[in-house]
Amino acid sequence: MKNSVDAIASIQKAFDEHGYICSLQIATAVFLSRHLDKPILIEGPPGVGKTELAKAASKIFDSELIRLQCYEGLDEAKALYEWKYGKQLLYTQVLREKLGDLMDGATGLKESIAKLHDFDDTFFSEDFLEPRPLLKALRSEKAVLLIDEVDKADDEFEAFLLELLSDYQISVPELGTIKAKSIPMVFLTSNNSREIGDALKRRCIHLYIPFPDANLERRIIKSRVPDVESRLREQLVDFVQRLRELELKKVPAVSETIDWARTIVLLNARELNPDIVKNTLNVLLKFQDDIVNNEGRVRTILDEVKRKYP
Amino acid sequence: MTELLADFIHTLRYTGHRISTSEAVLAGEVLNLVGYDDKAILKAGLSQVLAKTCEEKESFYDIFDMFFSMEIMNDSMIEALPEEQKSLLDILEEDDRVALMRLMAQAASPLNFSSIRAFLSPQGFISDMMDGMGASALDMQIMSAVSEGRMADAERISKAKEGLGLKIASYVERQVRQFSENARELKREESLPFVRLTAIEEYQMATMRALVKKMAKRLVSLYARRKKVSRRGHLDVRMTIRRNIQYDGILFNTVWKRKKIDRPKVMVLCDVSRSVSEYAKFLLMFIYSVQEVLPKVRSFAFCDSLIEVTDCFNEYDFEKAMNEAMLAAKGKTSYGNSLEDFEKLAMADVDRKTTVIILGDARSNNDDPKEGILKQIHGRARRVIFLNPENKVSWGTGDSEMYKYLPYCHKASVCASLKDLEALVSDILRRS
Repeated sequence: MKNSVDAIASIQKAFDEHGYICSLQIATAVFLSRHLDKPILIEGPPGVGKTELAKAASKIFDSELIRLQCYEGLDEAKALYEWKYGKQLLYTQVLREKLGDLMDGATGLKESIAKLHDFDDTFFSEDFLEPRPLLKALRSEKAVLLIDEVDKADDEFEAFLLELLSDYQISVPELGTIKAKSIPMVFLTSNNSREIGDALKRRCIHLYIPFPDANLERRIIKSRVPDVESRLREQLVDFVQRLRELELKKVPAVSETIDWARTIVLLNARELNPDIVKNTLNVLLKFQDDIVNNEGRVRTILDEVKRKYP
Repeated sequence: MTELLADFIHTLRYTGHRISTSEAVLAGEVLNLVGYDDKAILKAGLSQVLAKTCEEKESFYDIFDMFFSMEIMNDSMIEALPEEQKSLLDILEEDDRVALMRLMAQAASPLNFSSIRAFLSPQGFISDMMDGMGASALDMQIMSAVSEGRMADAERISKAKEGLGLKIASYVERQVRQFSENARELKREESLPFVRLTAIEEYQMATMRALVKKMAKRLVSLYARRKKVSRRGHLDVRMTIRRNIQYDGILFNTVWKRKKIDRPKVMVLCDVSRSVSEYAKFLLMFIYSVQEVLPKVRSFAFCDSLIEVTDCFNEYDFEKAMNEAMLAAKGKTSYGNSLEDFEKLAMADVDRKTTVIILGDARSNNDDPKEGILKQIHGRARRVIFLNPENKVSWGTGDSEMYKYLPYCHKASVCASLKDLEALVSDILRRS
């Protein structure tokens, strides 16, 4: 038991070193996923670092990152594998003469077909197989598989995923069953635009990443935008934290905070003032309506921030 | 250790968390991996395996805190500490909390707190625990002290015993409360859907509304999948070949098979006279909660005449819209009049994709029922469903025109409780 506490702490430290500040929750989920061989379903508002988590994990565990972006209408062919039809056709054309040689000596349709049967495997072999992300993940030595926005895919795809994620093997009719060399680490992300089916949820470890608290956000800014001075950093984070409490169409997430910090550094500002805020607010608030409707409140927030961190 | 986890999962299920067996097994594996050392890690790990939505996680954290505050200390103490044989008296006098906890846990383990269903008298449990902890030995000590004349000692010991009694009482109460509260909550939720809608009191309205919302959510998730079936993926060979005859058989233009789902159009006619208005309220609440899967709903309210209230429900929130709808309730109910109004307003819109629902008691004050109009609706619409809150025995009695309308309904059923409404809505969604 003691080793698990240590292991989780070391995972957290490893994430820190690679620039991804993570909470205890996240580190625990990663630890459990590795030891129990279960996929992680990450939910949360957009921009909190779900995809980043998978990228950081691939760096830490020295695995290749294989990414599958889901959308409505995604099916097996595009996700699993496809035959290189073009190549097959091309080769048959080019080898037409060779085909004539092969048929030599065969009289009649039946014999010709029999001869052809000996060669049908050539055109459905590994050379003509185009592996797509899921097959790549199965065949890789060490892989982190990121299935992004799984809530955008439809139910058939979910059912197909279920099968894949429980046994980590698939059967290609022409090639037989392909088992995973080593079980990949699987991350599924969802923006909660629709309810993910129960069966898939039950198979996964469910991680919810909320907006970070002030402390965590400060550490993130420190790690990602080191040029920001500590006073400015405190002001920045406090401002964004207060901004999140307003009624907005799109609440600014961590990625917006990071971008804003970078913008302010670029403009050589040492602290927040009304001008800077007004000019760069569009980095934080992506909807014009939000900016226009909240001008007064933004000013109030800025005053409060300045009062707290003069 | 596993018993503790089993108890915890049992409590969770009691409070409405749906935890499957495979998840329970997974939780056991998590426990083995992580252990009790770090409570925060255990909390995080178990929450990721047992609670799969944000609301579930919130309630999970509350229950975890309540459950593991005392238990963990007990069990791990039992395992970790050596078996010191202090007497009960010494423990009480030295106020050795750790040893006291251990003794209490030992005494409590044969008792099954989770089997409590209602807040029965806790006295039984308290006395069992006292015995289990050896309180009778204390009594003997008191008696011997009195007989030997050591009154001060006797005082001391009986004070200690009282303190013990209080501590045990609070422990038992905490355990019992934890289980019985949850049981009561669940019971309430179980029984409300079957209560007759007119018997619902004001204070239960909030719970009812929450129930309607829950049912609606379940129905939506069940039937929402049927929305996106239009597929591209299967080649319609026949059509393709036909279309390409002009190209000498080469398949230039492909035609794909499409499966179209047609969403039902629903028209709801509600009798809003005093006797039936409660039911109308709930029916409309339901219909508008499932708007995701039933987008094309037109609603009408009638009493002596019929008005359309669709716009009210689209513009205002539910309460206000309901009040507007009730405005139609003036004068004496007349089904014939109302059907005539409907014919003028909306008959043209009734087609073979429409489902017409009529909610009322069919009591028309002996007016002309004009069932011919209903016959026309029956001919044009896909389904006509008549919902009557009265029992079947009352149909046709007095001024009820039920039997005149019955032949022109595809389905006529009694609709008195929330469960009936749910069955109805489910039926509509399924058949479309």
